[in-house]
Amino acid sequence: MAKVGVYVCHCGSNIGGVVDVETVRKHAETLDDVTVSRENLFMCSDPGQEIIRQDIRDGLVDKVVVAACTPRTHEPIFRKVLEGEGLNKFFFEMANIRDQDSWVHAHDHDGATAKAQKIVDSAVAKAKHLMPLEEKYVDVTQAALVIGGGVAGIFSALELANMGNKVYLVEKDPSIGGVMAQLDKTFPTNDCSACILTPVMVEAGTHPNIEMLTYAEVDAVEGYIGNFDVKIRKKQSYIDWKKCTGCGDCADACPVRTPNEYNAGLDNRSAAYIHFPQAVPKKAVIDMESCINCGGRKIGSETRISKKTGKPILAPCERACPAEAIDRSKPLDPQGEILDVKVGTIVVATGYKVMEKDNFKSLAPDSPNVLTALQLERLISATGPTGGKFLRPSDNVKPKTINFLSCIGSRDERYHTHCSRVCCMYMIKQAKLLKEKYPDLQIYMHFMDVRTPGKDFDEYYTSALEMGIKIIRGRVGGIDMLLEDKLKVMAYDADLAQNIEIDSDLVVLATAIELQDDIKPLAQKLSLTLDGSGFFKELHPKLKPVETPVEGVFLAGCCQGPKDIPDTVAQAKGAAAAAAVPLAQGRVKIDPTISEVNRDKCSGCGICEPLCPYGAITMTKDADNHSRAIIEMTQCKGCGVCTTACPSAAIELHGYSENQIMAQIEALTL
Amino acid sequence: MAALNLSTMSQEEVIQAVVDHGGEGITRCIQCNACASVCPVAKAGFPLFGRLLFRKLQTGHYEEIIEDPSSWACQACNRCTEICPRDARPFEIVFAFRRMQAEELAISTSAFTPLMNLHATGHAVYADSAKELRQSVGLPELPETSVADEKAQQEIQTLLENGPMGELGIF
Repeated sequence: MAKVGVYVCHCGSNIGGVVDVETVRKHAETLDDVTVSRENLFMCSDPGQEIIRQDIRDGLVDKVVVAACTPRTHEPIFRKVLEGEGLNKFFFEMANIRDQDSWVHAHDHDGATAKAQKIVDSAVAKAKHLMPLEEKYVDVTQAALVIGGGVAGIFSALELANMGNKVYLVEKDPSIGGVMAQLDKTFPTNDCSACILTPVMVEAGTHPNIEMLTYAEVDAVEGYIGNFDVKIRKKQSYIDWKKCTGCGDCADACPVRTPNEYNAGLDNRSAAYIHFPQAVPKKAVIDMESCINCGGRKIGSETRISKKTGKPILAPCERACPAEAIDRSKPLDPQGEILDVKVGTIVVATGYKVMEKDNFKSLAPDSPNVLTALQLERLISATGPTGGKFLRPSDNVKPKTINFLSCIGSRDERYHTHCSRVCCMYMIKQAKLLKEKYPDLQIYMHFMDVRTPGKDFDEYYTSALEMGIKIIRGRVGGIDMLLEDKLKVMAYDADLAQNIEIDSDLVVLATAIELQDDIKPLAQKLSLTLDGSGFFKELHPKLKPVETPVEGVFLAGCCQGPKDIPDTVAQAKGAAAAAAVPLAQGRVKIDPTISEVNRDKCSGCGICEPLCPYGAITMTKDADNHSRAIIEMTQCKGCGVCTTACPSAAIELHGYSENQIMAQIEALTL
Repeated sequence: MAALNLSTMSQEEVIQAVVDHGGEGITRCIQCNACASVCPVAKAGFPLFGRLLFRKLQTGHYEEIIEDPSSWACQACNRCTEICPRDARPFEIVFAFRRMQAEELAISTSAFTPLMNLHATGHAVYADSAKELRQSVGLPELPETSVADEKAQQEIQTLLENGPMGELGIF
C-alpha cells in the first residue's frame, strides 16, 4: 500500500487568499493511503521542502503530492527533494490549485475550496499508481549551427567558436553582414556602421572554428537536441569561388541592369555582381533570374568557335574573369549543392526586413522622393548610389526640406500592432547627421510620441531639438504629390491643436520591422512558432528569452522581435551561451515521460505512425516478419497522440499510464 | 481654422527673437506640460498659457498671438522654472515674449495702468484712496517711499525713460 504525503501550499496569498487551505489539508487526511497531510505558507521555500524531507526520512511517506502552483516552474524543485532522500523522483505529483483554481475563481472562496479538494483527490489517486521511471542520456555532437549572418548571427557564431566549438554559419546572401552592413551610421554615438562591423565580419570569416556557408539556406532539419541532422543548400553561384578573387571585373563586364538589393532598390546592379564592397567573403555570383545569357551562353551549353576569329565565343563575364572562375559550358546544377552537417544546437538569427513603401497608398509611394528610412540610409552612405551625396532622387537636386514620418505600418491594426522600437532613434540619427552637414536644411519629424528607452538615447533626442530639428506630435495622414516633384505633407500638430501642411522635397517613412515573407517554411522545418506580432516566439518572455519550445534551438536578434544593435549583440551572446551549455555538458538528458510500444500487443496497423508530430514512430519488422511500431526515444516529446490513437492500447505514455489517468478521472467524477 | 503653411514662415527668426529677448530656453522645451500643470495663467483659463505659448513660438506663430493678453496674467511666481525638467526657464520665455509684445505696443490694458503708476509714483500698484484711510488711523498721508519723495520719482522716471521702455514713447 502506498504511503502518500499531501502538502498544501498557501503560495502567500495567491492560494491562501482564496482557498481555505486548512479545509483542504483536513480533507486530504481523510483520503485512502494518505499518511500525512500538512500545509505551509511557501512549500517551495527551504523550510517547506524540509518538511517533506523529514517525512520521507521518518518513513511516513513514499509518494508525494504537493498542492500548489504549476509543475512547469516548480516540479523540478520538488522532484529534487525526493531524489535527495533516495526516492525515485517520479514518485511525485503536483496538484495545481493556483493557476487552475485560486487565480480563476478569486471571487468564489467556497467554490474554489471545493475545487481544490477535487484537484487534490485526483492527484492522490494518480500518486497511488505512480511507477518509478529512469532518465536516459544521449551524447551531443560537438558543433553548432547559426542560421543568419547578420550582426546577431556573427556574434553568436564568434562566441560559440571562441568557446572552442565548431560552428556552421549559414547566410542566404553572398556575404555576411545583414542589414547592419547597409547602415550609414549607428545611434547614439554616430559611429560608422561599416567601420565597426567589417572587422567583426572578417574575424568571423577567418575564424578557424567557423565554417562560413554564404549564399546558402537551410533545406531540412531533423533530429533533436544534441543530434540535429541539417541539410544545407549551397545555392548555385555559377562562379567557381575557389578561383574567384573578388576583383569585380565580371560585374563591370555584365550588361544587365536589375534593382540592387544592397542599395534598397535605389540603383541597379549587374547580373554578375559582388554583394557590396566590404563583402565577406568577397566573391561574385551570377543571379540567373536576371542573367540574359549573352552570346547564347546558357549554362551547360557547348562552346561554339567563331568562324571569323577561330576563338571560342564566350559571354562578357567569362571573358572578363582574369581567374577563369566562370565557365558557362559546365552543366552546373541550378539547385546548387546539398551539404549534410550534424550539430548539437542551433541558433536562429534570421533577422528581419522593413516594409516597402508601396504598402502605404496614402503616402505617395509612387513619388521617387518618398523613401523608406533604409533607402535614406543608403542615400547618405558613402557606399550608396550617390556616393554619399544628399540628392533628391527625382532630379538629383539637394533638398531644402525633409519630413520624417514615424510609425508607418507599426502601432497600426491594419499592419502591425507592435512598436518597431528602433525607428524613433534611427530617424533622429538621420536628422541629426543631415542637420550637422546641412544646417540650412529644414527638418520636420512627425511622431505620435518619441520613444528613447536606452543608454544616452533621450539625450540624443533632446540635442536634436536644440539643433533646430522640428519635432511635431501627431501622425501624418497623407501626402499629396505637387508640381516640380514637391510633396505636401498633411499633418497635425497636437501641441498647437492645429492642422499643418508642409511642402517638402523629400519624405522619409519609418516603415515597420517584420519577418521576411519566406520565413514560415524555415519555422516549420525547425518546429518553431510565431508570436502575435509575427516574430519567432521565445519560450518565456522574461525568463527564457533566447530559448524556444524546441530544445536545443535558440533565438537571437530581430527574428525574435525588433531591437537595436546593442540589444541584438547582447541577445546574440546570450543565445550563444545557452547553445553552448549542451555542448559543454557533452550529453543531454532524455525525459522518461515518453511513449513506448508494447510489441506483444502491437498489431502493426500503422495508425500511429503518420500521427506523430515529431516523426518519432517507424514501423520495423520483427523476426516473425510482422511489421510493428517502434518509438525513437530521443525524438518522442511525450505528447500522447499515439497512445490515445492506438486501437490495441499497445502504447503506454510513461508517467501518464492508463490506470493512472483512469484513477484520476474516477476521483474527479465520483 | 484654415491649415497654416508652416514652410512659408521663418520659425528660426521667431525663435532667435525670443532668445534675444531673454528666452534662450525656448529650443529646449519638449512640450511636456509640467509648467502648465502649476501655472496660475493656465488655471485661470487664459488661452495662451506657458506650454502653448512656447509651442506657438517654436513653430513661428508670432503675428497671430502678438495681441494676446494671456502673458500679462503671469504672476512671476516662477513655479514653472522650478519644475521644468528641461531647465527651459519658462518664466523667462514668457517675459521675453512680453518684451516683444511691449515693443509692438501690444501691452494689455491690465498692465498699462500699473506701468503708468510705476512711472508716476515708483509703485506699480498705488491707490490715491489710501490717503484718507492712513490719516484716519493717525499715519502720515503719504508713506515714506518714492510716493512722498519727488527726487526719488525723478530718478525712477529717468531710469524708465532711458531704458527700452522709454523708446516706446508712452511716458
